Amino acid sequence: MIALDPAANRPQFINVRVKRQDGPGQEPYWQLFKIDYEPELNVISVLQRIAALSKTSDGKKVTPVVWDCGCLEEVCGACTMQINGRVRQSCSALVDQLLKDNADEIVLEPMSKFPVLRDLMVDRRRLFKALEKVKAWVPVDSYYNMGPGERQLRATQEQNYPLSQCMSCGCCVDACPQYNKIELERKKDETEEEFKKREEKAWDKAFVGPHAISQAMLFNNHPTGKSIAGERLDALTAPGGIQACGNAQNCVAVCPKEIPLTTSIARAGRATTIHTIKKWFEK
Amino acid sequence: MSDSNSDSNSEPSFFTKHEFAIRRLHSLTGIVPLGLYMCVHLTTNASLLGSVEIFQRAVFLIHSPGPLLPLIEWGGIFLPLLFHAGLGIWIAKTGRSNSSQYQFTSNKRYTWQRWTGFIALVYLFLHVMHLHGGIHAEGWMNAIYKVGFGQFSPYNAGSSLVDAMNLGYGIIWPAIYLVGVLACVYHFINGLWTAGITWGLWISPQAQARATKVCVALGVVLTVISLAAWAGAVFPSKDDVAKMRAIEDRMYEAGVVSGTVLENEHKRDLRGRAAAEESVDASDGEQASTGTTEPAS
Ligand code: HEM
Ligand code: HEM
Ligand code: SF4
Ligand code: SF4
Ligand code: FES
Repeated sequence: MIALDPAANRPQFINVRVKRQDGPGQEPYWQLFKIDYEPELNVISVLQRIAALSKTSDGKKVTPVVWDCGCLEEVCGACTMQINGRVRQSCSALVDQLLKDNADEIVLEPMSKFPVLRDLMVDRRRLFKALEKVKAWVPVDSYYNMGPGERQLRATQEQNYPLSQCMSCGCCVDACPQYNKIELERKKDETEEEFKKREEKAWDKAFVGPHAISQAMLFNNHPTGKSIAGERLDALTAPGGIQACGNAQNCVAVCPKEIPLTTSIARAGRATTIHTIKKWFEK
Repeated sequence: MSDSNSDSNSEPSFFTKHEFAIRRLHSLTGIVPLGLYMCVHLTTNASLLGSVEIFQRAVFLIHSPGPLLPLIEWGGIFLPLLFHAGLGIWIAKTGRSNSSQYQFTSNKRYTWQRWTGFIALVYLFLHVMHLHGGIHAEGWMNAIYKVGFGQFSPYNAGSSLVDAMNLGYGIIWPAIYLVGVLACVYHFINGLWTAGITWGLWISPQAQARATKVCVALGVVLTVISLAAWAGAVFPSKDDVAKMRAIEDRMYEAGVVSGTVLENEHKRDLRGRAAAEESVDASDGEQASTGTTEPAS
């Protein structure tokens, strides 16, 4: 790859513009950093260089930029941020590629739908709470030996495998025009407990997001998981359920795992409709 | 999650509790009756390009329920439209379009769905006021007629439609109609596609790709029909209006005699009626019915 790049074409520096924020609820501000060019960097290594430098392009000493990461191989989702205006994982965002699209600078911003904790680090708890809401798991309580599981048809496996690759990164919800940011502030007379409860209530009413819809479909299609299929469909028709989706299909376009989210949403659309009609007649 | 139901201090509203069902109803009303009505409506209007007679026959048919018509209009069109439009505005406000940040085609379609819905709202209000008037009460109709609304006379369908289009220098209404009708067609066709996701009709990406083709084809056909409807109302000249009116009057009179048309003078064009009365006195009926317009050279 390097051999293909004529050396003359390589820049000397990389400009990195970072949207920073000192703490939750504070005003964001921009800083420009300049680091030496090295071949085959990813955005995480750029952030490491910036942390080591801790100096803006005009020489001002600043605190290191804060970010999050885990696996470094695009399976944990912790490093998700907006890079050049598009939400994605910073560990798999290759600098040479980014410079090809925009040679002038790399722009890093935190995800737009979650409260910023600091700089590029956000609080994604709502994302996981949504998975709890739709019971995205196989219910086994280990009291009884349930015997061997039902055999899965090959077709079912092929349908489920792509969905099982979701890493709960939140790209899909970040790009979704129907998923709005919820950022609450703890009131003075409120205990930590009360605040958490208020937060969860607000999340519960708001859109669950495409990842949760897709996971609900994954577990409703699982031989053991489907035993609580009805409960998942109830969750998907509750306030904040699938009805909030407006079919923009950004979710499917930005998902790094190329999960067929629109297929999951359509499948859930059919299942919830049938479920609701059935329930209505059984009342 | 299991402990969150202990909160009983704020019961969710009726709307919040039943939002799923209400949104399904929103989607359904967009297709039937509204989408279906629009297809029939545009086709009917396009028939004016065929001939004055075909269009007038269609309007006689539409108006054959007589006193029941307002009931059909309100129950089948206006109320579903008000529901769909009102909820549509609310839905549009729950989202935050980001199609300048994420320029995917489907994201632009999402944004346009909202914009065309909004255009449809403005257009349909103007359109219904312009031609129909909303309610048939005579005092109301006479009052709005003076300011250029409620212009359509079902028993002089073609001529009053063309006349109505010519109000305001013959450019303002045609322009509004062109934008409005195209926005409605886009909104319906794109809505049909998204409704397939809403209801889970096309699930796999392959099925979705096929649905796209079908919807594009439908969209092309409906666009042609809507342009024909537009042309039929916009292109005829003032001379044509007089000829159309004569044909419509003949059809009305014959229809009343044969019992196929409900007699109702209010549904005739005021100007047309004046002209018709004149023509009884005047020896040359042809001349009199063109009295309101320049005689053909
Ligand atoms: C008059 C003002 C109107 C407004 C403000 C409006 C607004 C909207 C909005 C915001 C949506 C998106 C709903 C969603 O994402 O869940 C929508 C969907 C739709 N509209 Fe309208 N609309 C209007 C009129 C019409 C008319 C006249 C028709 C039929 C010709 C129509 C047919 C549809 C259809 C078929 C859908 C798709 C529903 C779905 O995706 O499930 N709308 N409308
Ligand atoms: C070039 C296009 C169009 C033409 C020439 C046209 C013509 C007309 C005419 C002549 C009427 C009067 C009917 C009457 O009073 O009995 C009417 C009413 C109406 N039109 Fe249109 N129209 C057009 C496009 C549309 C579109 C796109 C819609 C959207 C759905 C629409 C919806 C309506 C409604 C709701 C009424 C009143 C309801 C009723 O009469 O029962 N029109 N139109
Ligand atoms: S569906 Fe895709 S974008 Fe959404 S959380 Fe899962 S992996 Fe991330
Ligand atoms: S399809 Fe639905 S969930 Fe996906 S981005 Fe659009 S509105 Fe959001
Ligand atoms: S660090 Fe795990 S996905 Fe990037």
